[in-house]
Amino acid sequence: MPRAIRGVLIQCEPAIKSIIVHLDSVNNDIIIEDLDEQTLVVKENMVQLLKQKLEDRLKETYRPEEPLADSD
Amino acid sequence: MPPKRKAVGAPQAGVAKAGRTSALSTPGPATPRSLESSFQSDGDDDLNDDDVDETIKRKEEVIAREADEFVNTWAVDSSRFQSRQDGGGSHRDGATQFFGSGKRDFSYLNLKPDHDQKPLWIDPEKGTIILEKFSPDADRVTDFLVTIAEPKSRPHFLHEYQLTAHSLYAGVSIGLQSKDIIDTLDRFLKTPLPESIRLFIESCTKSYGKVKLVLNNNKYFVESSDAELLQKLLRDEVIGKWRVQGSGDITTSYAPTMGGLVIPGTKDAAGVNQADLNKSGNKKTAEDGTAGAAATNEADLYAAINEEDDEDDKDAVHAFEIPETAVEIVQRRCLDLGFPILEEYDFRNDSNNADLEIDLRPNTQIRPYQEQSLSKMFGNGRAKSGIIVLPCGAGKTLVGITAACTIKKGVIVLCTSSMSVVQWRQEFLKWSNINPDDIAVFTAESKNKFSGNTGIIVTTYSMVTNNRERSHDSKKMMDFLKSREWGLMLLDEVHVVPADVFRRVISSIKSHSKLGLTATLLREDDKISHLNFLIGPKLYEANWMELSEKGHIAKVQCAEVWCPMPTEFYDEYLRANSRMKRTLYAMNPRKFQACQYLINYHEARGDKIIVFSDELYSLKQYALKLNKVFIYGGTGQAERMQVLENFQHNPQVNTLFLSKIGDTSLDLPEATCLIQISSHFGSRRQEAQRLGRILRAKRRNDVGFNAFFYSLVSKDTQEMYYSSKRQAFLVDQGYAFKVITQLANIENTPDLAFATAQERRELLQRTLVDNEKGAEDDVETDDLFGKVGRGRGGGAKGRAAAVRRMAGTLGELSGGQDMAYIEQNKAANKGLKKKGAAKAEQSAFFKKLQREKERSRALARQG
Repeated sequence: MPRAIRGVLIQCEPAIKSIIVHLDSVNNDIIIEDLDEQTLVVKENMVQLLKQKLEDRLKETYRPEEPLADSD
Repeated sequence: MPPKRKAVGAPQAGVAKAGRTSALSTPGPATPRSLESSFQSDGDDDLNDDDVDETIKRKEEVIAREADEFVNTWAVDSSRFQSRQDGGGSHRDGATQFFGSGKRDFSYLNLKPDHDQKPLWIDPEKGTIILEKFSPDADRVTDFLVTIAEPKSRPHFLHEYQLTAHSLYAGVSIGLQSKDIIDTLDRFLKTPLPESIRLFIESCTKSYGKVKLVLNNNKYFVESSDAELLQKLLRDEVIGKWRVQGSGDITTSYAPTMGGLVIPGTKDAAGVNQADLNKSGNKKTAEDGTAGAAATNEADLYAAINEEDDEDDKDAVHAFEIPETAVEIVQRRCLDLGFPILEEYDFRNDSNNADLEIDLRPNTQIRPYQEQSLSKMFGNGRAKSGIIVLPCGAGKTLVGITAACTIKKGVIVLCTSSMSVVQWRQEFLKWSNINPDDIAVFTAESKNKFSGNTGIIVTTYSMVTNNRERSHDSKKMMDFLKSREWGLMLLDEVHVVPADVFRRVISSIKSHSKLGLTATLLREDDKISHLNFLIGPKLYEANWMELSEKGHIAKVQCAEVWCPMPTEFYDEYLRANSRMKRTLYAMNPRKFQACQYLINYHEARGDKIIVFSDELYSLKQYALKLNKVFIYGGTGQAERMQVLENFQHNPQVNTLFLSKIGDTSLDLPEATCLIQISSHFGSRRQEAQRLGRILRAKRRNDVGFNAFFYSLVSKDTQEMYYSSKRQAFLVDQGYAFKVITQLANIENTPDLAFATAQERRELLQRTLVDNEKGAEDDVETDDLFGKVGRGRGGGAKGRAAAVRRMAGTLGELSGGQDMAYIEQNKAANKGLKKKGAAKAEQSAFFKKLQREKERSRALARQG
């Protein structure tokens, strides 16, 4: 009997996709299907969590504690 | 494929060897003393502290902490100047909360009716002054602001200045009164002058520069124009005790004026020179007669000189004498009392130290900004200590030499590396008429003294501060340096040396005045404010934009090129440790392509290009792949010279890859384009120093000429963050960075490197494998030109350790396995070497051999 999982299609830059894949590699609970360089399908219930994790990760790269954030 | 592996292995062996030699030259304290170790301890490239005694270290720490505290008490926002205006609260309105949650609402400062004519704003808490550069008054105000405040940021339309205690101190030291400063500020401000700022200016100018320490006839005098103040100091129990008895009460004399002093090389120098000579001759005879006599006679003498000079403004000054031993104590006590002592050197009346025969060559003309900076130093006819900040390539050396020619006493020059020692000496010989015997060099290799009774010594910081066991020669030399009094101490590149090293230098070598020279007066650790106390205030800071407009330095177009990371690299980047991350974002193939594209583009335009990379691994990979010459810490001396010469003169060699050893003290006026592929985190100083490499471009005065500065950055990595931080200093100087996200037609570049996914994956694999087994560390040798003395000590041992044991058949060793040696990625350096060798004169015998060999080869090919 076929099983259905609700998913969300995400399209993003390759770099962001890499980060998502990296986050997923911990316990493989985010990604349903990896489609190509810029698209993947993730579980619907994980989207909020993913957004937050992604934000944290980007902060590490850009260190917004510097008062540069308001320049854009 | 064994041949390939060999090619990669070769440069690594070189690095390892160089690494060992540098380890040898820094023996720990426990190194057994031997003939050899005494030779090695003269190494003059490292400024680490391991070799200093614990006790000295601890003492230095205490001093540093005290200095820190002292520096902080003189900040504008320290509580002593900030009386919170209660009136400020009443001006609250809807917008107030947006300004520092209500604390930074300064709307209580009402605008003047004619505010739109006025160019200045001031921040009552921080003392930041904002100048509207487009205002008609701006030019007049700029001159004034530069004297009393430190320039912080100078882009095109709005300039930012910071009022600090030191900047006010510098203003006072050239004769400004607090009333002048307050009135002028008030006149140009859009608002009335805030009370806190007025208090700050008054308290700084009241205490600063009022008390001077003057070395005169080798006696120290505490001098002031305010007799009451001196009485107050004398009543202090610490200072009063130290007054030299028998030197009479407070003596009164007249302050020297700019009078007869002419800075050589300036326009009016030529005319006045003759008159000045006579005058100083008179002075000298008069001085000889009175030397050693009571100070009251001296006062007469001053009066006499002043009459001679026919000056109108005579300020009476009062002084009392203190012994040499008490200078340090009195200085500190005066700091505590809030009257920091200003040090000045009355070199024209110094008869104890022999005069040095030195003058600028008659054809030397110094530029207006150099003259301006020196006139600040010699403002009142005496030499003040301080720091002059000029961009790289704007002639710092000439400023130093001119200062030496003005003072005409013994000079000690301290620089950062043994190569700049040689350069300084050459510059002295080039610009001044000094006798070559009078200028000596003190480095690990040569330890001569000058022939006469005075002269110039050029040395490095580490030679002077070295506390380890010295060789006999250098110990003798140090004793000589310590036993003398120097007229001027020139400190080159002051920003690189830690404060404690300065303390050691200054405490061990006595000099009457100190002049620090630098292009980038900033440090990431913010210890720069200590220099104010150790050397002196910042006397002058040039405006980069102004200099480049006038053609003294090159105009530069700056650009930041964003290179996206390919997916496979970014995946790996996310997983890697921080060290590997750095390698990966340097090795980004898109960055590689951008670099290749830019090199092709600029070579076609006829530019000479320098590519900088801090990452050694990527430096080599880029240079090998693109077949360009490169220099890094492990490159041998002869090879370096050859590469540099070829870069300068050979039209075939237009691109040079440099590791961070090329950041400073490298003079290549041919270079007109600079590409940066990896750099040292967020170091603003490195960015500015690297830019300095192209500022002195030879072609800078060609019409429409622009130099180019590219910084290649891998997108979505930490490099983006560092890059914005690095640019801060240059942006403050008025440079604008263009961001380039896409290089046009990059995919049409012929033989574009790593164009296919296959190649990119191979590159990634190779990078990972090569860097896994302990990354090569950059061997930081002394400077670009390496060391001569080093090789002798380390060479033999280095070779011995390079022996390897491995299993194999005899046939393999003899080449019986039908294997030939090929280098696929040949270093371009080697090509140069071959060419160089061919040019060299060969003996007839070898030429004949060569001919025979070629003939037999040709025969073999035919047959």
